[in-house]
Amino acid sequence: MKRSDNFALTLAGHLAFIVTFLVLWEFASKRGWLEPTFFGFPSGIAAYLWEGFVTKGQLWKQLGYTVAGTLISFVLGSVLAILLALAFVSSPRLERAMEPYLAVLNATPRLALAPLFLLWFGLGLGSKIAVGTSLSFFIVLASTVAGIRGVNQDHLTLSRSLGASPLQLFVKVTLPSAVPVIFSGLRLGLIYSMLGVIGAELIAAEHGLGQTLSYLQSTFHMNGVMGVLVLLAILGMLVTRGMSALEKRLLRWQ
Amino acid sequence: MAIRAGDASAKPALALQDLVVRFANQVLAVDRVSLDIAAGEFVSVVGPSGCGKTTVLNLLTGLIPADQGTVTGKAEVLGKAPTAGNAQIAYMLARDCLLPWRTTLDNACYGMELRGVAPDVREARARDLLGRVGLGGFAEAWPKQLSHGMRQRAALARTFCLDSPILLMDEPFGALDAQTKLQLEDLLLDLWQAERRTVLFITHDLAEAVALSDRVVVMSARPGRIIADMKIDLPRPRSVRALQKSARFHELYASVWEKLEEGLGQSSEVVH
Repeated sequence: MKRSDNFALTLAGHLAFIVTFLVLWEFASKRGWLEPTFFGFPSGIAAYLWEGFVTKGQLWKQLGYTVAGTLISFVLGSVLAILLALAFVSSPRLERAMEPYLAVLNATPRLALAPLFLLWFGLGLGSKIAVGTSLSFFIVLASTVAGIRGVNQDHLTLSRSLGASPLQLFVKVTLPSAVPVIFSGLRLGLIYSMLGVIGAELIAAEHGLGQTLSYLQSTFHMNGVMGVLVLLAILGMLVTRGMSALEKRLLRWQ
Repeated sequence: MAIRAGDASAKPALALQDLVVRFANQVLAVDRVSLDIAAGEFVSVVGPSGCGKTTVLNLLTGLIPADQGTVTGKAEVLGKAPTAGNAQIAYMLARDCLLPWRTTLDNACYGMELRGVAPDVREARARDLLGRVGLGGFAEAWPKQLSHGMRQRAALARTFCLDSPILLMDEPFGALDAQTKLQLEDLLLDLWQAERRTVLFITHDLAEAVALSDRVVVMSARPGRIIADMKIDLPRPRSVRALQKSARFHELYASVWEKLEEGLGQSSEVVH
């Protein structure tokens, strides 16, 4: 009982704060204390989002492009990274040979590659996926290698004495023991995929929330800019929450 | 695989002859060790740390990689050279090695799973063993929820679930507190007395060695040599708790201790 009371109280507190904040913002903008061209105002932002999702619905398509780009680059980057990590673990020589090149690529700010990718892959989804993948790939690669290296040697010794084959060692010991570390990489990888896609959309794109944002900004449609920012914040939060929930389910044993 | 109880005429279950192990860095780890263990016998090896006890066990499990040193002499498991993953052997380490992502039941099943036992058979057997080690109510618990003693009980269950006639145990109770240790020693004796497998038990605890074994083998400090091989004529079945008050137990303990001290003295003269 006490717990839920506390929860209700906390929620009420947050609601009160947010409502006060929005009312003050609205009031200050209407009174001209805040320049609406720079800050917009809450009722205008709400109206923009309402129009974008309900009456006209044009934002759904942009949202779809951004989400699709994020998911594709996340999956692509993660799969490639995990495959390369496996190759590295089974052949340390390959890792030593590739390490300096990967270090240089990883040190390059990936958004700076966006103009190049735009040229190679065009204004569409391809260039967005390229940027997102190049970001998630390195994060997942590092965490997968670390996770696999971190396997408990005693577990391997015991399993070998029990007659485990190399494949069994990998599937039953190394992989599950690496999952927590890989997962923290995947979580970051997903967030960075989104960052890469939106960043590339801001630079040049046909569709996507980043492109919408850039267009609204150039036309001084501040309510729209704020509305898209709210949308991106919610999207980012959903992504993190979703990964956390999945992690909690998969890692009940921790 | 039938488990023969104390069949003296049969070939030894474990045989070491003039075994010499030299590590790659030229350190002599095991020096001319010869030891026969009959089927159904419980033999403990005691000795100071670094005397090569674990090396001998790793050799018998076939887990010493070739590039880690040279081995001469003979080491045989049921008349054959050791091989990694030999189903005749169940190995138990000092640390429980429970896989944290498996429940207690799945951990107990793990060895059988790797050795290809059918799923329904292994679950029935694991549940039976978990009951016998006192973890019947913890089948679905995660290892992190178990105490040290309970985790080692689960490891015992995993070991005894295997039908290997030979058990190699490397200080399995070394990390436990005195009370828990006594409980688990009695548990081990109960399990062993029910089936009479061959046990090679490594420990640095003399009381434990005397209480559990048919024979106690004393090794010197590095390079490990056998300096005594003593029969423990305490009647079976034994209870480790009851032995604590037995005069004969303390007598045997004292004589093993004497041998061990002699060994420590000797080797310190030999140290280069």
